[in-house]
Amino acid sequence: MRDINTDKENTWCPGCGNFGILNAFKKSVAMMVEAGISLDDIVMTCGIGCHGKIFDYLNMSGMYGLHGRALASAQGIKLANPDLKVICFGGDGDSLGEGLEHTLFAAKRNMDITLILHNNGTYGLTTGQFSPLSPRGYKGLSTPKGSIETPFRPIPLLLEAGATFIARSYSARLDHLAHTIQRAVNHKGFSIVEVLQPCVTYYNTYSLYNKMVKELEIVPDNRNLALQLATAEEAFYIGVFLEETKPVYHEELYGSHNPAMDRKASAERVI
Amino acid sequence: MDERVFTITVGGRAGEGVKKAAQVIAHIFCAAGWNVCQADDYQSLIRGGHNFSTVSTSQTPVYCAHQNHDLLICFDQRSIDKHLKRLKDGALLFYNSDEAQCEQGIPIPMNSLMKKHYHGASNVSLAALAIFAALAGMTQEQLQEQIVQQYRRDIEENTAYAMEIYGMVSQRCDYGLDWSVNKPFHFVSGNQAIILGASKAGLDFFYGYPMTPASSLLHYAALKQESLNLFAIHAESELAAINMALGSAMAGCRTAVGSSGGGFALMQEGFSAAGMVEAPLLCILSSRPGPATGASTYTAQEDLFFALHQGHGEFGRVVASPDSNNRALSLSAELLALAWELQIPTILLTEKHLSEGMADIGMNHPELPEAKELPGTAGASYQRYAATPNGVSPLVFPGHKCAPDTVVKWTTLEHLENGVRSDSAADIKAMKDKRGIKAKAIQEACKRYQTTAEYGEGELLVFAYGSTVLELREAQKYSQRPFKIIAPIYLEPFPHEKLEQYRGKEVVVVEHSQSGLFAQFLKIKLDVQVKHLINKYDGRAFDPIELAKQIEELQDA
Repeated sequence: MRDINTDKENTWCPGCGNFGILNAFKKSVAMMVEAGISLDDIVMTCGIGCHGKIFDYLNMSGMYGLHGRALASAQGIKLANPDLKVICFGGDGDSLGEGLEHTLFAAKRNMDITLILHNNGTYGLTTGQFSPLSPRGYKGLSTPKGSIETPFRPIPLLLEAGATFIARSYSARLDHLAHTIQRAVNHKGFSIVEVLQPCVTYYNTYSLYNKMVKELEIVPDNRNLALQLATAEEAFYIGVFLEETKPVYHEELYGSHNPAMDRKASAERVI
Repeated sequence: MDERVFTITVGGRAGEGVKKAAQVIAHIFCAAGWNVCQADDYQSLIRGGHNFSTVSTSQTPVYCAHQNHDLLICFDQRSIDKHLKRLKDGALLFYNSDEAQCEQGIPIPMNSLMKKHYHGASNVSLAALAIFAALAGMTQEQLQEQIVQQYRRDIEENTAYAMEIYGMVSQRCDYGLDWSVNKPFHFVSGNQAIILGASKAGLDFFYGYPMTPASSLLHYAALKQESLNLFAIHAESELAAINMALGSAMAGCRTAVGSSGGGFALMQEGFSAAGMVEAPLLCILSSRPGPATGASTYTAQEDLFFALHQGHGEFGRVVASPDSNNRALSLSAELLALAWELQIPTILLTEKHLSEGMADIGMNHPELPEAKELPGTAGASYQRYAATPNGVSPLVFPGHKCAPDTVVKWTTLEHLENGVRSDSAADIKAMKDKRGIKAKAIQEACKRYQTTAEYGEGELLVFAYGSTVLELREAQKYSQRPFKIIAPIYLEPFPHEKLEQYRGKEVVVVEHSQSGLFAQFLKIKLDVQVKHLINKYDGRAFDPIELAKQIEELQDA
């Protein structure tokens, strides 16, 4: 496999959870290539925020999209060429704030793509404002007295929206994260991996997660149990919460057709 | 050749098949080889209200619907009240006497007869067709044939109802229709022509979200997706539509988006992203009166500067507006081809009048361009934003079958040639210059196509664009004072090479905006002296005869 690093200077804060995600992703890509997926067929999108910088650190194809819109562009790529494995990196502000609608609709459609949700519970790159996943009471520049909003719970949200593979991992558990990403990408349908990701500067959750993260041994056999484990207070469970099979959007739309590869030239088009 | 224009209007409530009746009548004239325009006036509601559809037809060219009627068929009282004053001398009025009263005209008990002939859902639309068939001298067999072809369902009940009304109409209109002609025709709306043109140029995906009067782009693309080799996707929002379109373009598919002002406003950031990632993207903006939600189902030209300045930041684009349904077909293909040739977003600016106005675009279409990219060479050395003399970088698409061992990075942040982000001063300048020098290529490429049109001759110079040109061309037939219509089709880049001859001249501008946006635009571009601005901004098209009169009455023009 060719080198997928770039010479772009890394500007994440030392100790940032994004390093764990980058390294785990590289490992999962190596596993995918090992399993026979062409590196050229793995295409990424990302939004704007600290998470998005991953685009520059990976010498791989993709689109560095607008804030909130990466998952929309990811769907457009998949629809145009379903041979591609499309992986969208999204921050919690990106995927659950500005771009919430696309996250819910990608799940609703069971679009055969993967969302890696960088859940750092803050807006890092814009200097630490509260995010859709920040807890009540979170103090930031836009909420000096503490957030008065209740955060979303991404797993119940995505489960209800129709995602067919839902997992959680932790940026400091490299192997767990790499294997979880690989499973998510291999899943046929909309897959999401919520990554617990400490922000060392604005919302440092390392000690909390190190103490509270517990690995699930098996996939819960029913949705109620999945929800219970995903929202448990005694621990942050990591692992796969849901894995099910449903028809995927592009196959419902056009079966085995490939719009980009099977394009018809003007001469073959009759109006 | 008989130059008379006949105008036939059907009026009633929404849901009564007003538009359908008019369309069947329009098809009958088309098949007889006549020229036909149909305009539908409807409100933003599903049942009730007042809808009317007008067909203006002639053996000689006719460019837009007239607003005074030769034949008026009313399904309800409101239609009579609204349109009675617009009956021409010698015009015929038929009305539903179960719903309405009128001192003139011919009463037909349309509701009672429906009760008699229908067991389930009834269709008053057939009454209009039957009245027309009798007037036009169609035989019972010809009427039956239309019912079978055009209405398909409930044929027996429709036929029984229509035949009874047919038998009640003793009046005759000698249109002079030659029933032996049976000419093939292609009677489409502007929006349908836009989809057809784009399809021929290679359109693979249309992404949209419903908003009148652009919705029928999405509807038509969805209806015809198999025969036109494209997919129509109704996204969760306009934001989704344009960002999905960018993704599909990146993966190698020809894509288009479309909306009216409000939805197009939501697409602004995505449009700007298209400028930055250099995405080839056809965007269709079909205007209605604004601001904000405005008047959903009516026409306007108040988005001219909005289209010209769409998206934040500096980058090249093409904006053009079709002046007929035929032009909508060719322009749509041109703008998709230009988008791909130059890797820029292009805007087809139109308005409700043309988007939903129907005309026969004929069976023989002009040669249309194909949307093709400048192909790149796959491999490790490929750079998405490689510098080239004209600013257009070769394009390859991701995937091992398309481009093995190749990294294709599209980036909405300022970037290096390889698509990796940079905000160094030198890199920002270099990439802005790369996009900037495209301006020349854009200008040259547009010259390949017809960038302006002129119609008629006269001392008086009248400028217009879009469907206002159709209103003027029809008015030209009735004006005692000859005038020349000058219509820029391409608005950005402005076709100076064709229009410099009018620099500083005294001109008349006709448009559908309150503040005279097009007049302001022409002053900026050509320093013309706008002696008269004829502007209509009530959402309605001009009546051509009234427009002709306004032009005749201009002082010192």
